[in-house]
Amino acid sequence: MINSILRYTIIFVILILLQVLFFNNIQFSGYVNPYVYIMLILLLPVEISSWILLFISFFIGLTVDFFSGSTGMHAGATVAAGFVRPYILRFISPRDSYEPGATPSMQIYGFRWFLIYTVLIVVIHHFILFYLEVFRFADFFRTLLRVLLSSLFSVTFILLAEYYRKGR
Amino acid sequence: MRNLLNFLARYNNLILFLLFEGIAVYLVVTGNTYHNSRVIKGVRGITRVAEEKITNTKNYLNLHEINTNLAMENVALKNSIGRMIKKENRLFFSVSDTIQQQQYIYTTGEIVNNSTNKQKNFFTLSKGKKQGINVDMAVVSPEGVAGIIVGSSDNYSIGMSLLNIDFRLSSRMKSNGYFGSLTWDGRDYRYAILNEIPQHVTVIVGDTVETTSYSAIFPAGIIVGIVSDFEKTGGDFYKIRVSLATDFKKLNYVNIIGNLKKTEQQDLEKLYQ
Repeated sequence: MINSILRYTIIFVILILLQVLFFNNIQFSGYVNPYVYIMLILLLPVEISSWILLFISFFIGLTVDFFSGSTGMHAGATVAAGFVRPYILRFISPRDSYEPGATPSMQIYGFRWFLIYTVLIVVIHHFILFYLEVFRFADFFRTLLRVLLSSLFSVTFILLAEYYRKGR
Repeated sequence: MRNLLNFLARYNNLILFLLFEGIAVYLVVTGNTYHNSRVIKGVRGITRVAEEKITNTKNYLNLHEINTNLAMENVALKNSIGRMIKKENRLFFSVSDTIQQQQYIYTTGEIVNNSTNKQKNFFTLSKGKKQGINVDMAVVSPEGVAGIIVGSSDNYSIGMSLLNIDFRLSSRMKSNGYFGSLTWDGRDYRYAILNEIPQHVTVIVGDTVETTSYSAIFPAGIIVGIVSDFEKTGGDFYKIRVSLATDFKKLNYVNIIGNLKKTEQQDLEKLYQ
């Protein structure tokens, strides 16, 4: 238990640092802004209580907000991601359900399962984040393009990271 | 209560989610200037429709008040128009009209010095010879007779006030036309005395006393004052107290009237005296 908390704390710090120091500084035609810190929410244990998940999501979002100078936007997006995660897990649950104490992982449930899982949550997160950022529906499709392109990059990174984590 | 607790237990995730989202959106809106302005704009767009309706209704209910205000404003405007017309009349100068044979010319003047407390009161006008003011012109306030010009320099002139014991004014009673000589007895600045009205004449208290054109200074019909009371003196004449129309204590703007045919009249009169 303590061990896993420590492990998640380390992942949290690494992801936040990556996000703040590296990904936030990517200027790629204005359409690509990957937000990879969402991976922490993906990796939390399957059986974690929903309300703890919401708290953690809110905390992660606020932390990123704090470093990005964007009050509340990331918090809103991560809370939404944390909220939908249990439903998505239930929706894509494998035939023999989840093992007790399992964490969502590519190694256990396979690449295809992890890909769907990641894409759904990342797109939801990015969708809410980007629309909260522009805060209007005037450039709806332009924003949607940003959402999709950024999601593509985020998902790619998360899959790569997950792949190498598996190998460890 | 139990139902409520059940409800909370059942939807605790949703409630928590909404709570967090609420906090997040609140932070977004209050923490970012752009989002704040967007929200305010959006809210205004919604409320404006309602506000318009409310304003319309209010306006309708306030119509009475608005009407009253408009009426008052109307009156004020009319008054100012009246004042303007009056001013223009005061600024009326003589027009060289050979057919009409204008007899009197008018100009305005401002009293720059005045007194009412002496036996021989004079006032000073801010116009003089350069502005066409000459001796023996009549000075008339908007209410009535004020005095006669007795001297003038280039830019100033001195007028003998009606409140001067040397002042003589030929004036008549409007109702019956009997004329007499008006003088000031040096007592009260609001009253003058009209003499030489014979005792067979019916004098009415409240009758208007006005100028005659006999002196060739004043045009006929300018108000001097109102008969206040009268008494019989020794001899055959009344002593009539006239309440003066002009308030000499607040004499300010006056008209100055010149008689263009005064010389002609006086020259002719001299021939037969």
